[in-house]
Amino acid sequence: MVKNSARLSQNTLTSSRRGDYADIFFENTDISSMVLQDGKVSQAQQVCLHGAGIRAVKGTETAYAYTMDLSEEGLKKAAKAVGIAPSPLPLWGSASFSLPLQHSGFVALPQRGSREGAETFRQFLLKAEAKAYALDPSIIKVKAYVAQRMQQVQYAGSDGTAFHDLRPRTALSVSIVMERGGQMQMGYASRMMQMGADFFTEAVIDEVVGEAVRRTDFLFTATQIEGGEMPVVMAAGSSGILLHEAIGHAFEADFIRTGDSIFTGRMGQEICHPSITIVDDGTLPNDAGMLRFDDEGIPGQRTVLVEKGRLNSFLYDRISARHFGVKPTGNGRRESFRCPPLPRMRSTYMLPGEAKEDDIIRSVRRGIYAESFTNGQVQIGAGDFTFFMKTGWLIENGKLTRPLRDLNIIGNGPEALRHISMVGDTLRIDHSASMCGKEGQKVAVSQGLPTVLIDKLTVG
Amino acid sequence: MKSEQLRSNSPLPRGSHEGVLPLKGVGGSLYFAEQVIRKLPASLDYKLVLLKNHEDNIVLRDGKLEKMLRATSLSLAINLYLDGREGFFYTNNLQADAVESFIRQAFETTRLLEPDESRMLADPSRYYKGGGPDLQNFDASLCEIAPAEKIKLLEETAREVEGKDKRIISMQTRYVDRQHEAHYLISNGFDACEQSSYCTLTSIISVEGESGQHPMDGWGESRLFFHQMPRQGIAQTALQRTLRKIGQRPAPSGRYRMILESPCAGNFLQPLLTAMNGQALQQDTSFFIGKLGEQVVSPLVNLVDDPLQVGTRGAALFDYDGVATQRRELFKEGRLMTYFIDTPMSRKLGMPPTTQGTHRLIMESSEPAPSPLPLWGSATKPLYNGCENEALPQRGSGEGAPTILVTDFNGGNCDPVTGNFSYGIEGFLMEDGIIIQPVSGMNITGNMLDVWQRLVAVADDADPWEAELIPSLTFEDVAFSGC
Repeated sequence: MVKNSARLSQNTLTSSRRGDYADIFFENTDISSMVLQDGKVSQAQQVCLHGAGIRAVKGTETAYAYTMDLSEEGLKKAAKAVGIAPSPLPLWGSASFSLPLQHSGFVALPQRGSREGAETFRQFLLKAEAKAYALDPSIIKVKAYVAQRMQQVQYAGSDGTAFHDLRPRTALSVSIVMERGGQMQMGYASRMMQMGADFFTEAVIDEVVGEAVRRTDFLFTATQIEGGEMPVVMAAGSSGILLHEAIGHAFEADFIRTGDSIFTGRMGQEICHPSITIVDDGTLPNDAGMLRFDDEGIPGQRTVLVEKGRLNSFLYDRISARHFGVKPTGNGRRESFRCPPLPRMRSTYMLPGEAKEDDIIRSVRRGIYAESFTNGQVQIGAGDFTFFMKTGWLIENGKLTRPLRDLNIIGNGPEALRHISMVGDTLRIDHSASMCGKEGQKVAVSQGLPTVLIDKLTVG
Repeated sequence: MKSEQLRSNSPLPRGSHEGVLPLKGVGGSLYFAEQVIRKLPASLDYKLVLLKNHEDNIVLRDGKLEKMLRATSLSLAINLYLDGREGFFYTNNLQADAVESFIRQAFETTRLLEPDESRMLADPSRYYKGGGPDLQNFDASLCEIAPAEKIKLLEETAREVEGKDKRIISMQTRYVDRQHEAHYLISNGFDACEQSSYCTLTSIISVEGESGQHPMDGWGESRLFFHQMPRQGIAQTALQRTLRKIGQRPAPSGRYRMILESPCAGNFLQPLLTAMNGQALQQDTSFFIGKLGEQVVSPLVNLVDDPLQVGTRGAALFDYDGVATQRRELFKEGRLMTYFIDTPMSRKLGMPPTTQGTHRLIMESSEPAPSPLPLWGSATKPLYNGCENEALPQRGSGEGAPTILVTDFNGGNCDPVTGNFSYGIEGFLMEDGIIIQPVSGMNITGNMLDVWQRLVAVADDADPWEAELIPSLTFEDVAFSGC
């Protein structure tokens, strides 16, 4: 069966009339979730996605079709739509999900619809709610959401590449509403990991609930400030959004190929201080961005984007790698079988430096210490990025003096990199549920940063 | 083709449909699913929706084909209601054995939930009963038009700017069309179909700017039918919008008059709509709690949801719950007229149900101001939606006051409880109604309830082809942070 499957895909795909590469991506994804609201676990969702995407590539030209019909006829029709002549065509239907399965040895998930699985979810949510109420008497609402996604994928390319993988992903999010003296505040925290049943631990609940409660409590005393340009200390962890927005997207090689990115033509150049090294990594165990294989069969790997201040690599999928005559870096990702792959980030972080966080804060006369974030955005061509700081502090004369909230921070990617003047000695990867959007496709990512000082950003 | 009520009372014998059956050939999946549910060992209420979507998505890069996607998808959405328990289930595997197994698992999951008496179907007296107008919002020919014809449209668009400016780095031209068909079957007496379609043509251009920057902007237009698609002007407008961004830099921090250009004005309205949601009210996460009937924004705000406008985007005869749509005032002269209350929230809040959300938003003014969009620098004609328009005034508004014309947002967020916001913006600094500098890297900050009280002018330049008709808006005294 395995041999047949591989031969099938290769025979079929190399008979393409158009192009120099073709591939097929089978997917079977189950998503289960439950919501606790108003003290009850009374809502559940289950989603089943099932289908195959077929692609033919010639140079930088892509023809793509997808189908939910995995019968021989259905697959033939999709193949024909992209210009592949599937003849002679063995039984495509039997080819799906028949390669040897590879996965990281995660703990198996409870079966969809099983009492055991539903009870695991329910108890997890009820515990999260109870822990939240126990932490602060001013809590009036707790909403908790748990979701598991099991994506089974099988890939075959016309060059003989093939894999079959199981990708589990589990997430918990908790939002809290507190009331004090007639004033309401809402805070939120989440975790998302590539884990199965082993995600459901007391430690995860403690982390997420504790973070949500702390953030909500913080908002009662935090204020906005009059904005302007000022130094910004990015706290270790979720501040990695800086890298994601400021350089990550602009390093995606499709934007380099078209010339749109502000980093086009800058390979090998010094773009920031030599103490700075930035990585995009698909190998971090259990990380949301981990990939044993990307969605076009390239093994997961660690890619050094900036090495000691110099631009070392972009993020390549197969098409852009072929265009530039380099090897793909394993960044070809897609939301589902309905979408062709694009160069995307995985886990993007900066390696630690030598400064102590206290020394970094002490060096700022007046500025911002940015601690937690909600969302960000970038304009690829201009390099202008933004990210929204939910909580942070005003720094005055080297001390954290006043809690702050709800500030948009704006900068320009290359300029912000050049203005990083201190890098802390402790890297923290943030495992909040973080989805990155591009061309309507969302993929799971993570990011990390040691504490850094950026001499100048616009704070709103 | 019109949306059609197929069954007004349940149950009817299979095959008793009247009128159009858009999902002919696949509709059997829906009734098969219903049969499976009826065989379950408990009496359930259910809502079944069979969805069929067809899409073409074609991209040219610098005039040459880069990407082409063509696909049709079928899927089944199921809501099960069992004694106050609600489960939502979705699958695109419509093989009989897979559907049967999926529904049985769905039932088991629903049975394990805790009861919440608010979780139930809508009152059938509120359902659409048929007899509505033909909405004229479905182009049945879209999936039959050859891709070559769509590529030809793209090539014509790309040629508009070919060789027109040496600074052009790259141009992406994209054509997308979608046909949406859905068949609803609800156990307490609703059986109806709906159809809609749209086509969109967009052009995005990047150019060589200052200091190594590559300014990028675009323009796009949507229509319901392919034959309505504009044949010229889109790429030219995209190029104009991109070139005018060269030299962007922050303006000094301060308080400015703010003009929101129509295409992005709807984004600024979104937090108000979110705050009207019943879920936000019930969860104490809305800055509109207790404000129904009060004047909460400027008296210039007159906002309606009108899903019954024939031949428009967003037109619909019923919502996702089967409830008949109607024209509804959301804000009248600044007063908050309604919340979005679905059936579960109605029971939780003790308020009458309204609707889940909006379909076709229209901001109106009894005395619309002339478009505040300005002359472009020393140009002799103003730009309006990318087209030269002689009817517009020769000067934009803003004389005598420092003004920033906001043409797009760049990130930011709004706290749903307090309404405090901070958004990145880009646009143009104006003096005496004339643009003097493109700006970016700036934020606007404030509170939603406060800033919407500062609205001083509502124009009449909304794009009628969109589902949200929000014209250009002028606000006084808004806090900008820049250099």
